[in-house]
Amino acid sequence: MLISMPDGSRRVLSRSEARIEEIVKDLGINPEEVIVAKNGRIVPDDETAGGSDQLKIVRFVHGG
Amino acid sequence: MKEDYSSMRGEMLGDGNRGRYARQILLFGEEGQKKLKSTRVLIAGAGGLGSAIAFYMAAAGFGRIRIVDCDVVELSNLNRQILHAQADLGRAKALSAYDSLAGINPEIEVEAVVERISEENVDDLLQGCDMIMDGMDSFPSRYLLNRAALKRAIPLFHGAISGYQGQATTIIPGKTACLSCLFPGAPPPATAPAIGSTCGVIGSIEVTEAIKYVTGKGRLLKNRLLLWDGLEGCLEEVSYEPSLYCRECRGLGRDA
Repeated sequence: MLISMPDGSRRVLSRSEARIEEIVKDLGINPEEVIVAKNGRIVPDDETAGGSDQLKIVRFVHGG
Repeated sequence: MKEDYSSMRGEMLGDGNRGRYARQILLFGEEGQKKLKSTRVLIAGAGGLGSAIAFYMAAAGFGRIRIVDCDVVELSNLNRQILHAQADLGRAKALSAYDSLAGINPEIEVEAVVERISEENVDDLLQGCDMIMDGMDSFPSRYLLNRAALKRAIPLFHGAISGYQGQATTIIPGKTACLSCLFPGAPPPATAPAIGSTCGVIGSIEVTEAIKYVTGKGRLLKNRLLLWDGLEGCLEEVSYEPSLYCRECRGLGRDA
């Protein structure tokens, strides 16, 4: 899995299919602070990812 | 008296070459300009985002602008909230906004409301409005705007910033996902760092979307979230879709 982190860095992760929420937590990121695009499309964090999926973890902002 | 004078002046200059809107009439014609003039807008918030949104909407000639904010101008606002000046410290932001907007374009109607947007008053505040511009600074207040947009079936132009980062998307009830489809949960509350130029980028994108929507030009940010990273100097987009499990719209825009 190719993972784009909120700071723009990239990581390659080889692990079995897992819930995106778990993957995000394992990367030390609070799932409440991010949304995750799987292969270019934002998906709910209870969806799973693995194999050759590309995940982009986006820290969304709330200020105005 | 002043209004009479300015509308007369507007007509005198309105020959398409010398008029206030000549440069944008090149883009969408007199017809598009008339559409902007007949559009009534709610700008929710007169802070950093609200400042950029309000200035550009007023200058572009959106005919009726209602701007709502309950706060007063503080010194720490002035690095980014360009509607307000040093002399406005302590004044209600909505009233300061009124003066700035009337100054930049006396041909439009501006209404300033000094209130906190809430479940109780949101219906009244949106009375007669064709669209909602998001200049809020928290997700709970954005969810309120999202619900109101769904209820009234009017578009919500979303934007948010923090530091060098920002995001924007366009919500059209019945045709796109709603804000809660995209962001089912609010992030933990925190004071966002902010520079004016990020507010300028995101507020300007929101206004560009509103102009496109009204004049029927271009491709809107429908089901697309635009992400601005000022530190990297990078714009990206990710797509999203209406969610059947959305607590607000239950995937209303799925079949559009």
